[in-house]
Amino acid sequence: MSIPASIRGFRFRSVDGPAFLAGLIIAVPVVVTLVAGLMNGGGHAWTHIRDTLLAGYTVGTVGTLALTAIMTLAIAVPAAWLVTMYRFPGRGLFEWLLILPLAAPGYVLAYAYGDLMGLMGPFQVAIREATGWTARDYWFPDMRSLPGLAFVLTCALYPYVYLTARAAFVSQSVCALEAARSLGASSARRFWQVALPAARPAIAAGLALTLMEAAADYGAAEFLGVPTLTFGIVRAWQSFGEPAAAARLALVLVVIVIALILTERHTRGRAGSQQSSTRWRTVSRAQLSGWSGLGATAACALLFLVTFALPMSRLVWLVMESRGQIAPIGQALVNTLILAGSGAALAFVLALVIALTARQSGLIAGFARLMASTGYAIPGAVLALGALLVMGYLGITLTGAWAIVALAWVYASRFTTSGAEPMVAALGRAPASMGYAAESLGASPLRRAVSVDLPVALSGAMAGALILFVESLKELPATLMLRPFNWDTLSVRANAYATDERLAAAALPSLLITLAGLLPVILLSWRLGHSRPGDTE
Amino acid sequence: MKWSVSLAAACAFLAACGGASEDAPAPETTPAPAVAPAGLLNVYSARHYDSDKDMYKRFEADTGIRVRFRESGAAELLETMKAEGDRSPADVIISSDAGTLYRFKAAGLMQPIESDVLSERIPEHFRDPDGNWFGLAKRLRVIVYDPARVEPDQVDEYTDLASANFEGEVCMRSSTNIYNLSLMGELIDRMGKDTAAAWARSVVANFARPPQGGDTTQIEAIAAGQCSVALVNHYYWVRMTQGSDAQRKSVEKTALSFPQQDSWGTHVNVTGAGVAAHAPHKEAAIQFLEWLSSEEGQSMLTTETKEIPLVAGATMPEGLDRLPPDFKESTFPLNRLGENQAEAQAIFDRAGWN
Repeated sequence: MSIPASIRGFRFRSVDGPAFLAGLIIAVPVVVTLVAGLMNGGGHAWTHIRDTLLAGYTVGTVGTLALTAIMTLAIAVPAAWLVTMYRFPGRGLFEWLLILPLAAPGYVLAYAYGDLMGLMGPFQVAIREATGWTARDYWFPDMRSLPGLAFVLTCALYPYVYLTARAAFVSQSVCALEAARSLGASSARRFWQVALPAARPAIAAGLALTLMEAAADYGAAEFLGVPTLTFGIVRAWQSFGEPAAAARLALVLVVIVIALILTERHTRGRAGSQQSSTRWRTVSRAQLSGWSGLGATAACALLFLVTFALPMSRLVWLVMESRGQIAPIGQALVNTLILAGSGAALAFVLALVIALTARQSGLIAGFARLMASTGYAIPGAVLALGALLVMGYLGITLTGAWAIVALAWVYASRFTTSGAEPMVAALGRAPASMGYAAESLGASPLRRAVSVDLPVALSGAMAGALILFVESLKELPATLMLRPFNWDTLSVRANAYATDERLAAAALPSLLITLAGLLPVILLSWRLGHSRPGDTE
Repeated sequence: MKWSVSLAAACAFLAACGGASEDAPAPETTPAPAVAPAGLLNVYSARHYDSDKDMYKRFEADTGIRVRFRESGAAELLETMKAEGDRSPADVIISSDAGTLYRFKAAGLMQPIESDVLSERIPEHFRDPDGNWFGLAKRLRVIVYDPARVEPDQVDEYTDLASANFEGEVCMRSSTNIYNLSLMGELIDRMGKDTAAAWARSVVANFARPPQGGDTTQIEAIAAGQCSVALVNHYYWVRMTQGSDAQRKSVEKTALSFPQQDSWGTHVNVTGAGVAAHAPHKEAAIQFLEWLSSEEGQSMLTTETKEIPLVAGATMPEGLDRLPPDFKESTFPLNRLGENQAEAQAIFDRAGWN
């Protein structure tokens, strides 16, 4: 997006109104919080935070993001390549099993792994009982550390990259790969030199989602005791009682996130390979036989086990073990579904507007999309603070319906981008010439958006809506702050129990969050299984 | 697809409209009694115990006043109330730390009340001098240690944790934790700022591992042999003595020391409550606070938490007999804990105590 050119050629178009409104709705909570922070000054707390803590928080966030990025790419891209291009025992099953971790929020995995790998977890207890050693006599991986946090976040978030990479591999024109094959390129070379460069924009988009989500995590970092900027924001607020200082830390986080977005945009811009052919044919998946087939099966099984089956089994075990002491949770489940449903509905509308206008790049479309991406990286607590301030200015008491509206607003402000991205990607796969054709036939930008781009975007809408729902359902800090009277949600209960070290009690709401998240994810998996054009398997 | 979204939206609006009316039945209250409720009380609580729900029900049964409650972290409640301003529905604020109670008061979110019942039942150093909040249950910050490796007289003062004897032997939870902040709040006044800061640095130098987990985690680390001394609130230890088999096994490998018996006494904090500045139901709020200081209220407040009832003569929760029958506790004015809180955090941060 070249800004000078956009400014020179700026005309207000029919699509700009809705885009501007969408951007505004998303931006207000962030902007209000940041402006309030800058205007009020950071106070004594800010001087102190800047001098003693800021460096540690920044290292924590950047280190976690870097490690999460490396681990995510290392597992998600090969996994996507494997299930798309090869045939091996269990391939069809793993294709969708590997998406399931999307249902479990980072904090749920943190609770499970914190317990599983902890001093009192089954592994360490077994080691001590078998050997008679004390905890000082052996080494064991420490989940309550920066690598532990990155590990947990990778487990929870890698499906974003797996999904986008897989979609890219699936929709790559078969011709390029077969041309490479017929020219004698080895399987490895086809991956590194043909498929990967073409898939790079999609992988970058998935990674951007992963990292924004990781940057905004509060629950896992809090539970595992890793100082990150997001943790620092909440802490500045809790320990110092200084929302202004919290808002300044948010500013640093926003800078990091904007850097992420610009990097992703840059990657996408340079690697904008247009598909030359839209004719689809069945890709013949290469059969992996013998040991390599078993190896592929084992690798996928291990990935599924580590990222999902093992931690979830632990939570199930904790629930079974503590039966009888479990508090009723039905009402919290209903509350959660209603809140996540309203958040997803609002976010869906905004995401659709943004995806359609992003297709016709321009200053305002760029603004709306940038706002959405930024909102995604802002911790829910900060957005909730912004929403509270706005409600206060408007003289609205945050009870009953208004609390739900405020919460839906915060969900939308935070998550719209994750719903918009699949739609943008769907549009990106359609040849740009479709739009140019519409314009050359005299269609207005609005008409083009509705008649040409909307049907295309809706093919990505399913994924968008599902992601929005799951994201809203998992949200924790804003829900804590804004939920109406007597409206405990599952995430609120889970957090309350876990921070009080009652993991057995936290396990049931954690599992229910994951279960609720599973339904849409399974639906998504099913659709993916049938989305490969020309796939007859 | 579009169907499911519009369905969700419809559900949300129905629910929203249903919840908007003040008198709509709240989901978590007791079934409506045959007679009209005598009043309403909105409680903002930073505690999250299932037994508190029973406590509210008991109060409803005793008084006919219907209780609606919101449980959240103290900081979230504080910011929520600030944003709600004079339209806040909150009547009573409950928090499990004097430092946070102070912050509600300092933010102008509480109002002073006069109650002969409360003044009579609650000792002076356990309440706000201006009558904004009242302590209701006691919690002690004590040293937990490994009796196989540590003699009791090696841990009879908080300063012992800074001793060179304990290099690589100390486990702690994060300094963000309000219990550590409040302890430091007292140490700052008792020892002076510089000595307290030096103490924190020496404790950090003794860490066996970076701060992590909660109080239970520290007890388990000692039982597993990762370290031999830590600071915990007494009730975490007591709860473990009644917990799962694994917890009981762990806790029996540890012992408690009540520090400062020969000087100012063990650090005490409170769960306390105050009346919100703009309480719509002020009378009911005062009535609730007085009820919490009654024998019944004290018992409901502490049975599950294993805190110590603050009002003389109240029944002790089961399990507290594992504590020493008699010990000296600090009479440090609790409002100072809040006043020193920012300083305490700064000292911890400079010492590198995460």
